[in-house]
Amino acid sequence: MRPSRIAAVLEKETKEIVRDPITVAIALIMPILMLFLFGYAISLDVKDIRLGVLDHDRSPASRQLVDEFVDSGYFRLAGSYAAPEEVDGALQRNEVKLVLVVPPRFHERLERGEAAPVQVLVDGTYAASANLAAAYAETIISTFPDAAPPAARVEVRVWYNPALRSANFIVPGLFGVILMAFPPLLTALAITREKESGSIQQIFASPLTSAEFLAGKLVPYGLIAFVQIVTVIAAGFVWFGVPMRGSLGLLLAVGLVYVFTTVGIGLLVSTIANSQVVAMLLALIVALMPSALFSGFLFPIFTMPYASQLYARTLPAGYFVDFSRGLVLKGAGLPELWPSVALLLVYTLIVFALAVWLFRKKVA
Amino acid sequence: MAEPTDDIIRAHGLGRQFRGRWAVKDVDLTVGRGEIVGLVGPDGAGKTTLLQLIAAILDPSAGRCTVLGFDSVRESAKITSRIGYMAQGFTLYDRLTVAENIAFAAKARNVSAAQLAARRQQLLAMAGLGPFLHRREGALSGGMRKKLALCANLVHEPPLLLLDEPGLGVDPLSRRELWRMLEAYRRQGATIVFSTSYMDEAELCDRVAFLDAGGIVALGTPAELRARGDGAAFRVVTDDPAAVEGALSGEPDVLGVQWQARDVRFVMWPGREPSSSLRAPFRDLGRVESASPTIEDVFVILTAECNHSGDGDVESPSPAHTRGPMEGTQAQISSQGLTRRFGSFVAVDDVYLDLGSGEIFGLLGANGAGKTTLIRMLCGLLSPSSGAAWVAGIDAVADPQRLRQRIGYMSQRFSLYPDLSVGENLSFFASAYGLDRKAAREAIGWARAVTGLARFEHHTVARLSGAVRQRLGLACAILHRPAVVFLDEPTSGVDPLSRFRFWRLVNALGAAGTTVLVTTHYLEEAAYCHRLGLMHEGRLIAAGDLASLRAELPADVPQTVEAVFIAHIERARTRMPQSESSAS
Repeated sequence: MRPSRIAAVLEKETKEIVRDPITVAIALIMPILMLFLFGYAISLDVKDIRLGVLDHDRSPASRQLVDEFVDSGYFRLAGSYAAPEEVDGALQRNEVKLVLVVPPRFHERLERGEAAPVQVLVDGTYAASANLAAAYAETIISTFPDAAPPAARVEVRVWYNPALRSANFIVPGLFGVILMAFPPLLTALAITREKESGSIQQIFASPLTSAEFLAGKLVPYGLIAFVQIVTVIAAGFVWFGVPMRGSLGLLLAVGLVYVFTTVGIGLLVSTIANSQVVAMLLALIVALMPSALFSGFLFPIFTMPYASQLYARTLPAGYFVDFSRGLVLKGAGLPELWPSVALLLVYTLIVFALAVWLFRKKVA
Repeated sequence: MAEPTDDIIRAHGLGRQFRGRWAVKDVDLTVGRGEIVGLVGPDGAGKTTLLQLIAAILDPSAGRCTVLGFDSVRESAKITSRIGYMAQGFTLYDRLTVAENIAFAAKARNVSAAQLAARRQQLLAMAGLGPFLHRREGALSGGMRKKLALCANLVHEPPLLLLDEPGLGVDPLSRRELWRMLEAYRRQGATIVFSTSYMDEAELCDRVAFLDAGGIVALGTPAELRARGDGAAFRVVTDDPAAVEGALSGEPDVLGVQWQARDVRFVMWPGREPSSSLRAPFRDLGRVESASPTIEDVFVILTAECNHSGDGDVESPSPAHTRGPMEGTQAQISSQGLTRRFGSFVAVDDVYLDLGSGEIFGLLGANGAGKTTLIRMLCGLLSPSSGAAWVAGIDAVADPQRLRQRIGYMSQRFSLYPDLSVGENLSFFASAYGLDRKAAREAIGWARAVTGLARFEHHTVARLSGAVRQRLGLACAILHRPAVVFLDEPTSGVDPLSRFRFWRLVNALGAAGTTVLVTTHYLEEAAYCHRLGLMHEGRLIAAGDLASLRAELPADVPQTVEAVFIAHIERARTRMPQSESSAS
């Protein structure tokens, strides 16, 4: 390893990047764009569920129950129906998501102190939101009408994200996913571009070693990736108001490790791919897609089938997402999160070793 | 066992396999210090692979190779850090400037800043790149890019320089300068091994290795190689070269025919005399006499002797098979004051052309002289800044859409689909030209037969040699029987025999009434054209047949195409400032 030769590659690469304004723009703007897209578009909060009512009783009690639903803030009255057939159509047309069916003599039964069952029909096409809607409905009904206080009372306190804001949960996860989108792609393209143009043959036929060449290529792209993670973190806290309960320094330090993981994956891709198109597809398939789906960014890993969990655990994004959420939301530090950090480090080392081993100064 | 010698390269039984096919097989080659060795051979003969094996950037599948005393497998790093290797094509960084490219090459090769400063000046002066120090590599002309690549490879003064087709796609003037640089460098005691498809470059070597199907078939000095063609080369002095060519083309013993201005050269199987039946038609056409063989003649003989199973045994196209343009279409090309500017740069400057039906017009000029821009305007692909053009009876400026049905265009990088087979490419282009099913079948069958592609029907284009791709490119361009065909450097990088076969096709097209406008960097091909146009810095500085172009020059100019070409450009250079001042 000669520092002067690494510096030569670094200098050359930096000039090439700077003179390609489109790449620079994509590298710096796309992550922010992605943050805003995901930060706003993805909301797992369930509010304003469209409620339909089929009231066979038409009594003060039934009206009061409907009012309770609407007053809870979770439901919005979207339709009242007279016959069960109408309910079918309304659910199919997506007019309502949940239908409250009040049977005849509902008021009368309540008056008598008898059990007064009501029926709740939930559109289950979106399983997750259906579950939540049903749970809300159940809570409202179970406390109607101001039933005598039960012997044991449950009081739930939500920690770390008491308002259950989606942004608080999504944004720290996005740090991990966005970094899997661009750095691997840019790095892989930077090397396969030289393969396509043939300029890499000049590198092969020179004293530059594989490690020197790769190191010189890595630093500028690592730097771009680090700028990306810093801007995304800053935008997350400033714009989305995500609370920061842990150490920012630690987040950036582990972010830097993660930056090298992502750039290393790009390197690995470029050792296999011989054209830019292949590199792009491979980077998408091995880096972005699995990271978006299997990092726990949207779908929790622990609820996945066992085999999928094993697969998810072979990807580095999940470890960074765990770390990032733990630090940002829970205020945890290294004592609690060191396993994730250690695994990221090991992962990065393996990726690099593999890339350097596979990158041979040979045309075939 | 390795005795200390002065040998720079020693290859023993060297071979390399790709997917079960031997690209290089059983090569024994020893190159001494200070030698200059040229590798020639048909496309796909293994020239590039052999150079990569010697450069130690490819591991052999068999045999071994010692370069500068180091083993090419175990000590490859020692080889790559010492040699210079210039790959085919443009392999520098187009976004870096001339100075930055040289600086990178120097730093990557441990050249100190002080050494770099001294050498850079010397190299760039030699290459004529001094004034362009801060221009981006991508904005240089092809010839300059090649010269810069050579500078980048000479910056560490390598003892061994390996060059893969250094003259490919480079105009004759730049090629001459490239060679001057190599000559100067070689006088310092360096060794050079290079591959080429230019036979004039092969003549300049100490030794020439002829490769075929991965093996060295012949190796020797140019004189030794030429001796293999003794008694096989003949020339016919004639006023009607086309008729001579026609008489020769049917003879099985005739291996190759080459047109020159007033005579036709041909090569026969060594040891076979022109038979009396062959001589008979020449009584009226001209005298048959033996000629001294050239390297190109030997190339033709050796290729035939190898009985090339690849592209060699292609049935020759015969003018009888060739169909001209659709009946009733005009085939003339004319332009008046055609000009194209890109910003302040004038790519094509006030060009007047007048081509008759069936004429084969060769456009010569340095890289960046404006040939491709002119062709693109005549094809209706680019609108001119001013001036007018009529092609095949259609106004190329006003009605490019209708023009496209009447013309065929083959671009520098034959626009074929590499992942499709030959047959699939042909049917795609047939449907793109709007031929109906029956017409398409007929046209494909005809184009396939004429270009000798029948046996490649199911081959994927990406795996074909340049020569076959070139014929397919032509077949695709003439499927719809265009009145006018534009060929932009169709023969670039193709070996002499395949080039010759290609030109026969072009001649047959012309004879059938199709007008052909063609560009080339192989000046010997000028002889196949009816008329030539010389372009320089966007202007058509001279046009006419070879004899009249010569007649315009002083008598002391040598009688070769190259000398005529260069003399005209030099004359234009001295005249240009004057003509500009008189115009203003």
